[in-house]
Amino acid sequence: MMKRIKSVMFALWICLSFILTIASGSFVILYIFIKGFKSVDLEFLLSNPGGIPIGTEGGVFPAIIGSILLMLIAIVFASILAIATAVYIVFYCRSQRLENIADAIIQCMAGVPSIVLGLFGYSVMVVTFNMGRSLLSAGLTLGLMIFPFIQVRVEKAFQEFSRSAINASYSLGVSKVYTIFKLVLPQCRRDIVSSITLAGGFAMGAAAPIMLTGAVIFAPVPKSLSSPVMALPLHLYILANEGISMEKAYATALVLIALLIIINIFAMTLTLWRKEVKR
Amino acid sequence: MKTAFDKVSVFLVKVLTLFSLLLLSFIIIFIFKEGYTFFKEVPILKFITGTTWNPTGDPKKLSIFNIILGTLYVSIVAIVIALPIGIGCALLLSGYVKERPRLIIRGFIDIIAGIPSVIFGFIGLMVLVKFFEKAFGFASGESVLAGGILLAIMVLPYIISTCDETMDKLYRAYSPVAQAMGISKIYILRTIVLPQSLRGIAAAAVLAFGRAMGETMAVMMVIGNAPIMPKLLGKCQTIPSLIALEMGMAEVGSLHYHALFAAGFVLMAILLILNIALYYVKRSLDR
Repeated sequence: MMKRIKSVMFALWICLSFILTIASGSFVILYIFIKGFKSVDLEFLLSNPGGIPIGTEGGVFPAIIGSILLMLIAIVFASILAIATAVYIVFYCRSQRLENIADAIIQCMAGVPSIVLGLFGYSVMVVTFNMGRSLLSAGLTLGLMIFPFIQVRVEKAFQEFSRSAINASYSLGVSKVYTIFKLVLPQCRRDIVSSITLAGGFAMGAAAPIMLTGAVIFAPVPKSLSSPVMALPLHLYILANEGISMEKAYATALVLIALLIIINIFAMTLTLWRKEVKR
Repeated sequence: MKTAFDKVSVFLVKVLTLFSLLLLSFIIIFIFKEGYTFFKEVPILKFITGTTWNPTGDPKKLSIFNIILGTLYVSIVAIVIALPIGIGCALLLSGYVKERPRLIIRGFIDIIAGIPSVIFGFIGLMVLVKFFEKAFGFASGESVLAGGILLAIMVLPYIISTCDETMDKLYRAYSPVAQAMGISKIYILRTIVLPQSLRGIAAAAVLAFGRAMGETMAVMMVIGNAPIMPKLLGKCQTIPSLIALEMGMAEVGSLHYHALFAAGFVLMAILLILNIALYYVKRSLDR
């Protein structure tokens, strides 16, 4: 009897947990969609914010473009570093010890909170190198944030790559570099693109690193790398926290979440497709 | 035979790797360097044990004991809420959900993990804080509890995916034998999978705790940001929100500016220690 009660309690616990998880996630997404749906139209997407205080009227066009530009800079910077590091660790590093140290370093980097990266970006890029609050400083800071994210996934993809195909290539006398460029990278392309896309979404939603390094309350679409930008997450924060316009805040949140869901689903289809092919 | 292209690419890969691996030390050194100016004026012990944070007063009082406590408190509340839910959900996923629906559910959980913290903060502000105000008649619903609940939802995906990895392996290893012996799924999950995945659960808890402590936006929007002794239903302040709120006001080079870097350094030090611990736990898991 005791056993039965334990089993039932256990079943109840895991079912409830599952329902709670799915419910809380769906609630967040649905709530934003329902509340924001009626305020989003083409005009909102394509016009500048206006009104006094700024943001009470108009749209979020510069913020959308700003967020996309920030994401692009971040992923270019981070993926170059991440792919190079993964290539080195998997194909060139001969000492197990060095490999362990590198893994530990990357794990620690992933654990550095985004606001500390913001501080770092601020003191190094904005203050020391005098780059000012700019698209470039903010983009690079976001790059620092997503570098470990991409590196871990790319390294995993390389490690899962068939060793025998690589050895076959070596034994045919093909050089290591050629093998990597012509065999490994093209075959892992889907994994790499999918992790970069996911990381891009992650960068796009982050507000903490950019609020110190380059995102501002209002700026037109940036003309150069050194101009300040608007970004969706910071715009949303300002609208909501200062109580400027809740209607616009819901709409901004909806635009941001919709962009991120599209990015996520794109990345997921890439990996899913790969799994189907392997089977 | 190596061509020039080979040599150049190998060289580039090495330089870029060196650069990426040195980034962490750059970050630590820079934050420490800026914080060190502050530690020269205020001893580190006084900084982390004093309770008053008042950057505008005269003389300035800059100590972060309450703020460190607030950071830990909010994160602990979050883990206490999220851990049982995450473990339960991971158990259900590894025992009861088939390959295909599982991919979809994992995808959905990844989407939750990808929702930016500012959106969670916004919802917290509009729903949780308002709810506390109405339901309990608080003057202000901004509280440690609101922050904890919000963070719990945010760290759930990390807990679920870390636990699920370990539990899935265990379940697959034991279920054919156990089922052949006529033992029910529930019994396998409860008596074998759950106790055996303790280390995986520990790793998940540490990972989530680290995430929670470093979280800025969502927490900042719902905890009220008052550097006082934290109480479950009262306002508090966390290190990330302190930095995010005050960095814009602090004049470059002032004591306040350096104090914020010092606070960042303390936070980073705690998280680095946590992550090194996590690294060893994970390594022992993989063996």
